[in-house]
Amino acid sequence: MRIKPLVTVFFFSIVFAVSPAWAGSCLTSACHQALAGLKYPHQPVKDEECLACHLQRATVHPIPKGKSFELSAKGAKLCEQCHEVLGKKRVVHPPVKDGDCLSCHNPHGAKGRFLLDNGEDLTTLCLGCHDSAPFKQKFMHGPTAVGACTQCHNPHESGEKWLLKEESRANCLKCHADLAKALKESPVIHSPLKNSHCTSCHNPHGSAVPHVLRKKLPDLCLDCHGGIGKKLTAKTPHKTLQQPGGCIECHQAHYSKAKGLLPSDEKSLCLGCHGSDKLGSPPLRNIKKELDGKKQLHGPIQAGRCSACHDPHGSDYASMLRGAYPTGFYAPYQEGAYDFCLGCHNKEMLRFAETSIYTKFRNGKRNLHFVHIADKRKGRTCLTCHEPHAADGEKLISKEGPPFGAWLIPINFKTTPTGGGCVPGCHRSLKYDRDKPVVYGQEGK
Amino acid sequence: MLSNSLRSGNICKSALLTIMLVVGLTGCAGKIKGPPEPVFFPPAPNPPRIQYLMGIDDSTDIEGVQSNFSFFVFGEQQSDKIKSIKKPYGITTSGSRILVTDIGAATIISIDPAAKTFEFLKGNHSTGKLRKPANMTVDSDGNLYVADVGRKEVVVYDAAGNFSNAFGGSDDMKPVDVAVDGDFLYALDISHNEIKVMERKSGKLLGTIGKGAGEEGVLSLPTNLTVDNAGYIYVTNAGSGKVVKMDRDNHVISTFGKLGDGFGQFGRPRGISVDREGLIYVADAAHQNVQIFDPGGRLLIFFGDPGLTVGSMNLPADVAVTTENLAFFQKLAAPGFILEKVILVTNQFGRDKIGIYGLGRMQGRDGAAGANSKKVETGQQQNTPEKPRTDEKK
Repeated sequence: MRIKPLVTVFFFSIVFAVSPAWAGSCLTSACHQALAGLKYPHQPVKDEECLACHLQRATVHPIPKGKSFELSAKGAKLCEQCHEVLGKKRVVHPPVKDGDCLSCHNPHGAKGRFLLDNGEDLTTLCLGCHDSAPFKQKFMHGPTAVGACTQCHNPHESGEKWLLKEESRANCLKCHADLAKALKESPVIHSPLKNSHCTSCHNPHGSAVPHVLRKKLPDLCLDCHGGIGKKLTAKTPHKTLQQPGGCIECHQAHYSKAKGLLPSDEKSLCLGCHGSDKLGSPPLRNIKKELDGKKQLHGPIQAGRCSACHDPHGSDYASMLRGAYPTGFYAPYQEGAYDFCLGCHNKEMLRFAETSIYTKFRNGKRNLHFVHIADKRKGRTCLTCHEPHAADGEKLISKEGPPFGAWLIPINFKTTPTGGGCVPGCHRSLKYDRDKPVVYGQEGK
Repeated sequence: MLSNSLRSGNICKSALLTIMLVVGLTGCAGKIKGPPEPVFFPPAPNPPRIQYLMGIDDSTDIEGVQSNFSFFVFGEQQSDKIKSIKKPYGITTSGSRILVTDIGAATIISIDPAAKTFEFLKGNHSTGKLRKPANMTVDSDGNLYVADVGRKEVVVYDAAGNFSNAFGGSDDMKPVDVAVDGDFLYALDISHNEIKVMERKSGKLLGTIGKGAGEEGVLSLPTNLTVDNAGYIYVTNAGSGKVVKMDRDNHVISTFGKLGDGFGQFGRPRGISVDREGLIYVADAAHQNVQIFDPGGRLLIFFGDPGLTVGSMNLPADVAVTTENLAFFQKLAAPGFILEKVILVTNQFGRDKIGIYGLGRMQGRDGAAGANSKKVETGQQQNTPEKPRTDEKK
């Protein structure tokens, strides 16, 4: 008879039809109803393939105070039946390493994508384990502020430190594309950006300091540029450094076209403040006006290097000079007193009463620089005759002359091929000649 | 008996042939002057700064050696072809040439190691005949000025080596050294403890310096002098053990050193040279070394030392520094030791009449990176030289 196979089929059909493991019956209104209402169900749940993960151990379900199903594998092994095996890269998120996928993910489904209940804002989820302090700062990195932790971090594993998606610098520049473009085009780049990480200066999550800097300025800069720190407490500090912007008042933080990460050439930068008549009370001396239209510029100014004479961070000398220079009108030459000028100009110039070598300002061998400056009673300083920045006369001697109280002393200096002379407000008209020395008192005889 | 006689005759022949072969092959071998191992100063474990490179005793060290082996002797012998250095004193450089005064042979030797030439001064005869040439210098036109203690003159030769003039014969001097600074010629007069300042081209005496500059700068048995790039004059004094730095106007700029056997002190200071960076090199015939000082007179290092070991010095007389021919000398340096300058020292005795040393740095040690561009840190501003010199020694 052919009735036996038909009975067998019927029997198994009945068994499956009444079995709770038959998926069609798991998400009924009577059982596991909540799973049916999940916004983002796990794909097997959506497909009602409960047996993809669960195995029936008992024919009766439910069993009071007992289980008729068990998971088909434990820990990550269960997930790896469908998902890629994780944990092979250098840095692995500890829950992944422990196979504890469920510490983050809801296995059946969640209110948000990726089986996560927190939606796009992962703050609550991540801070469930991680310290929350860096994430509650006054200034927050954008992704941190909106809980987009996975914008920078891979939640499972990475070849980079801190589970970063890419190498640290590239990780930053993939969003900060404007910076990436500028770095490619700039000849001068701050060394941490070349050799280290953006996080050398920035806290990637949040900070109490603007621009999510690790410290306030200038402390942050001084961590590396320690030598500058000593100058901040010098007798004559550069007041700009005491402004809120600190170093950034003069330097670019990331890149520049000019040496020293300056935003422009050195001279233009300095004259930006020292040529405006707007800063300070009384206003800063307008050096730009002093230079404009002048025929003679001091060598360093010609080279655009204000910093050759002035230390832009501060110094122990007046006017932030790089060496000793007397402050008064009279200051007889002493060894060391004029080191600033004599650092470039011949250091023996003021040492000897007679010379044929160290200066052209001599009558025969009589050193007239020595006569003026080494006079023990009333040695005149260099600025008595010479302008420090620019002048309309030769040898940086201005036509107006130096201020002497309320009067500008005229100098009227002129040179000849072998000497020169002046008609100053200091003494009678006198000339000098290197080859044929003038005998003073007998001129014209 | 006969067989014994034949046998002994064969033995004699064999012995004779062996001796001839040994003698012949020894002649072929020439002299081995280079050190088997690099000799550095200071010795390990200090980072090496100076390496002994080579020595020159005669022309074979420069021109090489031809085989002495010959069964027949005709005409000139090899020994006749060797040009030796008898008793050198002064040394200087002119371009790639090394110039040495041979006070024993009364001549000047011109050596070009790279070009392998070893020549005597062409104009050393008749009115240009030298008697006791102590030291010399070369001006920017290539003219050679020789301080001849025997003639008591400064003898001048043109760039081709022909005699052209003699200065100071009527100036009552015993010149032991000579230097040129632009249009000025300085002759160091040991008999009067002073420097005669002359017009370089005419030899006209313009004045004397070295006296009346105060006790500090008194010259005492001055033996050698040199001029640096800025025009300062440096004089070694065997009498006081001082190096006196002065200018043309008879101002003493500074002094350093004293008689003694301590660091930076001198026994018999002789030759002196100043390099482009202002480092001062002083040869000492008593300490048998060369001490190097920074521009402020602070001792940096010394090298040489007495003895007969490789790289030692024996009665050193003069020292010169050059950056010419660096590529040639670099081949003699130990692997990784990068030369910056070459120091030349004359020895009046010993295995090397001229000792050649390289100043440099070993790659990867003691801040060697960028060593060539490193500036001398003196703590003082160096005045810009008025004009560059082609000759660093005088």
